[in-house]
Amino acid sequence: MPVHETDICIIGGGITSAMLAERLAELRPGVGIVVVEAGRSIFDAQNRGRYRDRAIQYDEHPWPGDYLEDQTADGIISMTMAVGGLALHWGGACNRFSEEDLRLKSMYGLATDWPIEWRELERYYGDAERRLNVSGEPSPHPGDRRSTPYPQGPIPLSYNLQILKAWAEQSGLSFSALPMARNLTPFGGRDGCCVYDTCGEVCPSGARYSPDYTFRQLLTPKKIALHDRTLVRRLVLDEKRPTIAAAHAVHQDRPGEVVEYRAKTFVIASGYCWSSHLLLLSAGPRCPNGLANSSGLVGRYMNGHRFMQATANIDDQTFPGQNMTHSLISREYFRCPADRPFVRHDTRVWESSAGRDPRLRAPDGTLLMGEELLADWRSRTRGSSVRLRAYVDVHPSADSRLTLDASKKNRYGDPMPKIEHRFDEATLSRAAATKAHVLGVFATLAKAGNGRIVNTSEGDYLDHPAGGCRMGADPAASVCDSHGRTHDHENLFVVGAPTMPTGGCTNGTLTFVALTLRSAEAIA
Amino acid sequence: MKRRTLLQSIAAIAALLPLDRVRVFAQSRELTPAAVAMLHEIAPTVLPSSIGAARIRETADKFVAWTRGYREGVALTHGYGHPRLEKSGASPVPGYVRQLAALDAEARAKGGRWAALDRESQRALLDAAFTQAGVKALPPRPAGQHVVADLMAFYFRSSEANDHAYSAMINREVCRPIAITTRKPAPLG
Repeated sequence: MPVHETDICIIGGGITSAMLAERLAELRPGVGIVVVEAGRSIFDAQNRGRYRDRAIQYDEHPWPGDYLEDQTADGIISMTMAVGGLALHWGGACNRFSEEDLRLKSMYGLATDWPIEWRELERYYGDAERRLNVSGEPSPHPGDRRSTPYPQGPIPLSYNLQILKAWAEQSGLSFSALPMARNLTPFGGRDGCCVYDTCGEVCPSGARYSPDYTFRQLLTPKKIALHDRTLVRRLVLDEKRPTIAAAHAVHQDRPGEVVEYRAKTFVIASGYCWSSHLLLLSAGPRCPNGLANSSGLVGRYMNGHRFMQATANIDDQTFPGQNMTHSLISREYFRCPADRPFVRHDTRVWESSAGRDPRLRAPDGTLLMGEELLADWRSRTRGSSVRLRAYVDVHPSADSRLTLDASKKNRYGDPMPKIEHRFDEATLSRAAATKAHVLGVFATLAKAGNGRIVNTSEGDYLDHPAGGCRMGADPAASVCDSHGRTHDHENLFVVGAPTMPTGGCTNGTLTFVALTLRSAEAIA
Repeated sequence: MKRRTLLQSIAAIAALLPLDRVRVFAQSRELTPAAVAMLHEIAPTVLPSSIGAARIRETADKFVAWTRGYREGVALTHGYGHPRLEKSGASPVPGYVRQLAALDAEARAKGGRWAALDRESQRALLDAAFTQAGVKALPPRPAGQHVVADLMAFYFRSSEANDHAYSAMINREVCRPIAITTRKPAPLG
């Protein structure tokens, strides 16, 4: 059996792993770090322009082989498994949460408080933004004050977004450019943005941050070792102490051979799904319910945010296609007065061509051909469509769970995870009022600019999922402490998304990274 | 291995293959010259005349090149929000060849070549063909349901067509300095 010994073994190769490895290498130069990732490395940045072209022309996936066909779960929102993780194809949105997210219990009597002071987390937000080279502009709300400026100014608003900002602000809400991990000029070995406008799929210039760059930069000077295509299947308890002695893995090319990793410290950085899954899979005679699970809360309180969206038609003229992946954000409803019915959400505005795209048939069913089709299209290009969306703060119940599904197993016979999200009673009881509020905000926005809401919809899943190993001060009510150290095993940490007790009301990645950078100081 | 032995081995392996698979291997992944000619004949009917005859011909040629570049069994986009793996299907080319031949035959049954038919006859033939193929809307990109709908999608879903519709140089999805996007798009030449 091959055995690898190191100081710190990081399981998982996504954005939190990259940020953790980078920070640990700074805090403890020379420390041994091995990153073990189930998926493959896709480091051929030179090919990304070609991958993008094929994605546009043929809908081919621009990250070849970034998946394991039998390593999937019910209830996930992406099957990507590769070095870089979901942040290979994230949009790059880097919004901060607000203090209210950390104080839901004490401010509103809802859900739970996070075991971190806002002022402390805010410092790590600054560090996360610096590492990701976030471009942004200060929020107009005093509660959003920052201790450090954004490392880059905001992404310049496209002509379309300038028009939409002027329109949207007639409602009385203030909107800012969405903060994004997108280089305006070269930084960190990556080029500046040249508006390929496929941030969510692949960025050929590397302007939109993806973790593969960080891993390559750590590998060249041998600050870390990266073992890809190696799936950790079990963590093994020390025979005498409640610490983790080893991780047992298997390499894709040698499925019959166990690879053992021995380390002083183990860190699970495997995201919202696979972190809880590994802990549950690692059950044994001394921990029959899984590792780190004396509270019984591993895989519980799975969270995220709901979303509602709408399309508005307005009279102002825009030109769809200028910078489709950038948007406006209002943080007006991040804060809810304690004496008012609880509702929190962000409000986002994008350019859109909804309802104005070319179509094959006229309303009477006539097949349109050639110049007729173009004329029909042109007749619908006057004015603009606007895409509106709100991420809504919802809170999980303990039954919002990840469980092992014995009916679905991978090639090694391990049961795969199943995630079922559930809301707590308070969330369910205010659902109708929350919906009415958000639709009211959309209607107010539309009306201000002589606009009309033409459709609305609600997402049927939770976006930016997190949870499953929630942090807290009480070992009976949480899996790990505020640094991600598990209450049950002093040398086992969980970092990033899984540790979050609640999912906030805006994109979560920056918060995952900020929490991880804070964890790094305890892990080092 | 001697050449004769090699040929004997190939023949022996071929004999073991199921007949339907042999047929699949035998199907061309290239449009036939007749199919390409028919595509060029239909293109001026379904692409806008305002882009000019040369551009229409060029668009049809690019579509033919697109068919050559198609790859089977490749993982399709499964980024954020796509929890299941899907792979590209069989090449649309054999279907395209059949569909173009059918349109040619139907045009001849009406008394002549496609280009000689009046516009309403062309519309009726395409309408029926699309209905038979299950085409209900303009595909987001060529999808293999019907060759003419795919040719139309190939053009009308393009950045070039978007600019043409808006009469402005938007250059959607074209690499360009970000400062350009901050200005109202210039009118199209």
